[in-house]
Amino acid sequence: MHAWKALSVAALAFAIGVGSANAKQEDITLELVEPLADYKIYVAENTKQLVKDTTAFVAAIKDGDVEKAKSLFGPTRTSYEKIEPIAELFSDLDVSIDARADDYEKAEQDPDFTGFHKIEYVLWEKDTTDGLDEIADKLLADVTDLDKRINDLTFPPEKVVGGAAVLMEEVAATKISGEEDRYSHTDLWDFDANFAGSKKIFILVKPLIVEDDPEFVAKVEENFGDVDETLAKYKTDDGFVSYEELTDEDRTVLSARVNTLAEDLSTLRGKLGLD
Amino acid sequence: MTEPAPSHSMRFAVAGAALLAIAGGAAFYFASQANQGSKQEAGDFYEVTVTAKACEPNALTVPAGKRSFRILNSSDRPVEWEILDGVMVVEERENIAPGFKSTMTARLVPGEYEITCGLLSNPRGTLTVTPSEEAETASGPSLRALLGPLSEYKVYVALQSAEMVAGAEALAAAIDEGDLEKAQALYVPARLPYKRLEQLAYRFADLENAIDPVADYLEKREADAAFTGYHRIEYGLFQEQSLEGLAPVADKLVADVTTLKDRLRSMKPSTAMLTDSGATIAEQLAHGRIEAGENRYAHTDLDDIAANVEGIRKTTDVLKPVLEPHAPQVAAEIDAALQQVTAELDALKTQDGFVSYDEVDAKTREKLSQSFQSLAAALQKLTDAIQVSS
Repeated sequence: MHAWKALSVAALAFAIGVGSANAKQEDITLELVEPLADYKIYVAENTKQLVKDTTAFVAAIKDGDVEKAKSLFGPTRTSYEKIEPIAELFSDLDVSIDARADDYEKAEQDPDFTGFHKIEYVLWEKDTTDGLDEIADKLLADVTDLDKRINDLTFPPEKVVGGAAVLMEEVAATKISGEEDRYSHTDLWDFDANFAGSKKIFILVKPLIVEDDPEFVAKVEENFGDVDETLAKYKTDDGFVSYEELTDEDRTVLSARVNTLAEDLSTLRGKLGLD
Repeated sequence: MTEPAPSHSMRFAVAGAALLAIAGGAAFYFASQANQGSKQEAGDFYEVTVTAKACEPNALTVPAGKRSFRILNSSDRPVEWEILDGVMVVEERENIAPGFKSTMTARLVPGEYEITCGLLSNPRGTLTVTPSEEAETASGPSLRALLGPLSEYKVYVALQSAEMVAGAEALAAAIDEGDLEKAQALYVPARLPYKRLEQLAYRFADLENAIDPVADYLEKREADAAFTGYHRIEYGLFQEQSLEGLAPVADKLVADVTTLKDRLRSMKPSTAMLTDSGATIAEQLAHGRIEAGENRYAHTDLDDIAANVEGIRKTTDVLKPVLEPHAPQVAAEIDAALQQVTAELDALKTQDGFVSYDEVDAKTREKLSQSFQSLAAALQKLTDAIQVSS
């Protein structure tokens, strides 16, 4: 049998599957190609932005401009946080760019502690840029390398679709507590980016599931809507207020929504035959 | 070695856990994670314990295929557990809280992998995946395996399409400005993205006739009203050395390549996009085009041919991970044929590009044609090699 025949059979299976209540969940469809390609373009745009923003951030550090460097820390990270499910596929760069002090034996004092959070620690806890030149250069080299590697990477479909839930799981498990940006309290920037990255994946695959599962889609959209509304309260002209200003009530709302989203979005892979 | 200081990290872990507990959903979340695991037979899992210093066991051997692991965090801080292939994460489970278990399933192909075990400074363990009957029974690549390559190609098409439109716009702008020299310099860069996409673009006959007709095929040749597109502009820029009458042609070209971009975007993805299109364009080159040449006035055919090769190479590059395990000989044959045409083209390079095509003699053209024929023959094996298994 020629390949195209096999494909037209698959396409037919898909055509039948759509709209029927008992569609086989394991059906794989080439309809996924479009959202996967669009997602790669989204990620590539973000890594390009990350290189650009990191360049400015590093320049501020090397100029010794503490205030400017502080003001650029939150926004610079957003393009990394949006695409974390793909960025963290490169374990070496994920460590050197975004590891937290807890990952090291000697925590903040560990000589291997580098990247965004090391810079964050020195800027906020020491209120200086002294001694950061080398670490800043390394960060720029690492994000540049990341940009290149991502461009060369064929994205694994299950990582893309699974990424929507992964982002929410990470927020739920280790971010809602405020431990990610513990020195700068810029966590709301990260959250906003994590939600945007998760929502992007959901929106891209939505056309493939909405007919079979309108209730699921409506529920997820409602939860994303609640999150947007909650975060909107803390927006300022140029970003977000300190995470310390988040009320307990809103923290509970965010926490509940993020857990529901993590749980619901974790079914996406199965719905699209990618488990 | 001293124990890691339970300073910041533990405080945050405890604070984190407390906050999670407050948010009622969190406990449910962890519970549901654990439940997912217990649905399967206990024996289906490979058990791994992450201690403060290492994984136990620190060396695992499993047969290829879909494998499940259950990871117990027996250290006093949250850990992640990853399977690494070089620096690439194959699969990972993050944020396993102290005392908690988490399960993870990965599709594994035979090979040697590393596993991470808690702190970054802890020694890594090893995972050996051995060949298994179960993993070998699938004869062809699955449709799933083609999703990645097709998406990657779709991205390439989108980027080249954008470049094609931008190139045509820049060329049109230079013509509008009345800058002949600039327009001449922009002609080749404007055309190359089209040539990279030609293996798909040629299917849209109406657009091809507007974008890329050669005068020889038209009744009144250069004087024919249907002489439009790239070659009409080439004729003005390099033969007549004049911009006269080119502005509307350039504007039409911008409109046509924009339509082409939209059509390429809405093209339904199919494996044929990757398996058939390269062979078709290699055939066209081998059968006449290389011999005759197309750029009668600018003599920039070698740039065109090199761009065609880039387009072909993109399809074979994205297919490589699917092709190599199933048809290694076909992969090797295509590689060799691509290397041959590339070497012959490289031999015709000058310091700032390629030699003018009117300086390429018949014998060299014939040799190059033959090499493209071999490339076409190798590429034609792709369709059979990539038999999608259900």
